[in-house]
Amino acid sequence: MRQQYALRSQVLAGVMAFIALAIIVQMTRIQNSVEAEVFRQQAENFAYEVKTFYPNRGEIYDRNGRLLAGQKTVYEIGVDLRNVKDPHAIAFAISRELEMDYDQLLGALQNPPENISYMILADYVDAQKALNLQALKKALQDQAPSGAYGGLTGLQFSSHPQRSYPENALASNIIGFVNREGKGYFGVEENYDNLLTGNLVQVLIPTDPNKAYEIPKVPDGTTLILTINRDLQAASEKLLDESLTEYGAQDGVIIVMDPRNGELLAVATSRRMDLNKFWNYNDIYDNATDFNPAISKTYEPGSVSKILTMAAALDSGIVTPNTTYLDTGSVMIGGATIQNWDRNPWGVQNMVGCLQHSLNVCMVNLSTQMGANKFYGYMDAFGFGHLTNVDLAGESAGRLKVPGDSDWYPVDLGTNSFGQGMSTTPVQMMAAASAVANDGDMVTPHVLYAMVRDGRQYNVPPQHAGSPISAQTAATLNEMLAISLEAESSKALVPGYRVAGKTGTAEIPVDGVYSTYETNASFIGWGPVDDPQFMIYVWLERPTTSPWGSETAAPVFSEMAQKTVILLNIPPDTIRQQLRVLK
Amino acid sequence: MNIPTHLPNVNHLIHAYRVAPWRVQRQWIGNVLLAVVVLAMVAALYLNITSQTAVSGREIQDLNNAIMISQQTSSDLHTQLASLTSATAMETRALALGFRPIESGEVEYLVVPGYVTPQPVNLASESLPQLSALTIPPEFNQSLLDWMDERLITSRGLQ
Repeated sequence: MRQQYALRSQVLAGVMAFIALAIIVQMTRIQNSVEAEVFRQQAENFAYEVKTFYPNRGEIYDRNGRLLAGQKTVYEIGVDLRNVKDPHAIAFAISRELEMDYDQLLGALQNPPENISYMILADYVDAQKALNLQALKKALQDQAPSGAYGGLTGLQFSSHPQRSYPENALASNIIGFVNREGKGYFGVEENYDNLLTGNLVQVLIPTDPNKAYEIPKVPDGTTLILTINRDLQAASEKLLDESLTEYGAQDGVIIVMDPRNGELLAVATSRRMDLNKFWNYNDIYDNATDFNPAISKTYEPGSVSKILTMAAALDSGIVTPNTTYLDTGSVMIGGATIQNWDRNPWGVQNMVGCLQHSLNVCMVNLSTQMGANKFYGYMDAFGFGHLTNVDLAGESAGRLKVPGDSDWYPVDLGTNSFGQGMSTTPVQMMAAASAVANDGDMVTPHVLYAMVRDGRQYNVPPQHAGSPISAQTAATLNEMLAISLEAESSKALVPGYRVAGKTGTAEIPVDGVYSTYETNASFIGWGPVDDPQFMIYVWLERPTTSPWGSETAAPVFSEMAQKTVILLNIPPDTIRQQLRVLK
Repeated sequence: MNIPTHLPNVNHLIHAYRVAPWRVQRQWIGNVLLAVVVLAMVAALYLNITSQTAVSGREIQDLNNAIMISQQTSSDLHTQLASLTSATAMETRALALGFRPIESGEVEYLVVPGYVTPQPVNLASESLPQLSALTIPPEFNQSLLDWMDERLITSRGLQ
């Protein structure tokens, strides 16, 4: 009996061992079959997925920490096609809330493209609208009978950041904009696009949840602090708009810069765009140079460039402020006759009178006395014909013909001396004139004050752009310009503050002939003369109430300077002198 | 080996003290059962760790999403605040409250000893972030073999 059980046990054990062996053999066979290799390959293909981590775009602030460009949350709204229960309800809700076409939506939901399980219905949806839809989805689900699905089942919401500009159109010409693909256009957004965007990080992540992986730290894009003063920018834009109306000008620019370091404090242009609606670009601008004419639009500067001719003449030693000459009203050069702006002789004049009355004949005399080499050497040193390297996208270099160029003629030596026959941008004129206001040292205009990355702020040091004239020449010319404004009782004068500057009235060539009525009226000035802290350039294009810079641009300069001294907290000359005594 | 014939009870004694076959059988069964129990415990431990890892992985994903949403919300609120305090909005509010822009002649300057002109903003964080990630103690990511390897290297180094 016992032996019988033993035999049975042995048989049972043998059978089980056989089954176990068979299982092992089968497992080995399956593991090493051709199909297994295919499955292994498939598993490897799905073992990892490449995930891209996008950093948040850096923010943009003004110099006082006011946000100029940030992020807001918008939503992508889509449907999980496998879970859609009521396409009619989804199409209706979306069409009502997002003002989209119902039939089109329904068609897309009922006949989606093949091989997709998720379909985007709308993107960049305003947060409030998305929240309304989410609330409606929840309400329908709550109202549905137990176990049933709500009408908007399958509708999905995914939030993501979008560039937002809280100041709307303010400083739009400086900031530029970012399109929906995240690329920056114009201004700071384009010029510092790489810094603002940051570096995206791509990581291979195992799909097996057992394999722990480290989420990479994706640093945000660099935050930028601009030199711009938001309140001054707003004041300059408002004043420019008022001035265009008051003087009937077509377009205009007002720039405020610190001549000591090149920091642009305000750059106002007449055409501005709400950056949150960048798709209106084509409705506002005719071409790319219109976006920021302060750096892109070239024009003949006219008499404001007489400052630089006089600077060259003083620096080269051919004249002093007291040097006199006989103004006969006209002068021949290169076979052409150059006349004064009023076509009248002004008799014996010294160099202050030359600037005060803006005499073309005087300037031609100076440039011819210097000779082409010296004159163009100075103009080159002042940066004409070169980029200033202002850190905004789209700068133009302007044009200064020089001897040796195929289109340069001897008469150009005369016309260039009073700002005709050459082209510059407003910011170029600012850079050149900064040498006079800043003890002979030219500055590079710029808008970037500092960068903030990983919690650390890196202030950008100012860059000097050479010293075309000596400090003594600059001081002498400063005084001459201040005296000439005071002697003329210019409309550019600022109560309580001594300022230096020069008007400009440049005729605009129309069909190859200079028009008497269409002019570029401008004024460049700075103050306080003993310690220049602001430099202002005003350019009014084609003013209709008067063609003269002295009657249009000069009063705008004065008004802008009065706003500037208040907003920059610059006390009047008398108070500053008291402070100096106290120190 | 020859067994002395003068010891007739030896075989009997050997037989008497030999382990009974059923004892051997029980020992085998006991060993196999022990192995099965150990394997079951290891499997259970493995399953437990695996499930905990999976749950932790999912929690990490959820927390990452929560961080991302919080950052988005923070940026969004920051931008909303900037909109509410924009130049246009502030001017409108100031005018509505009866203020008007000051003219240059109306400003009165006072000489205040020690007054420092406001400087541009500094957005650097007061508590700077760490330059490197936190160091995880080896107990949390070192395998047994790694630990033994390290001990061996350390002991060799000490010698």
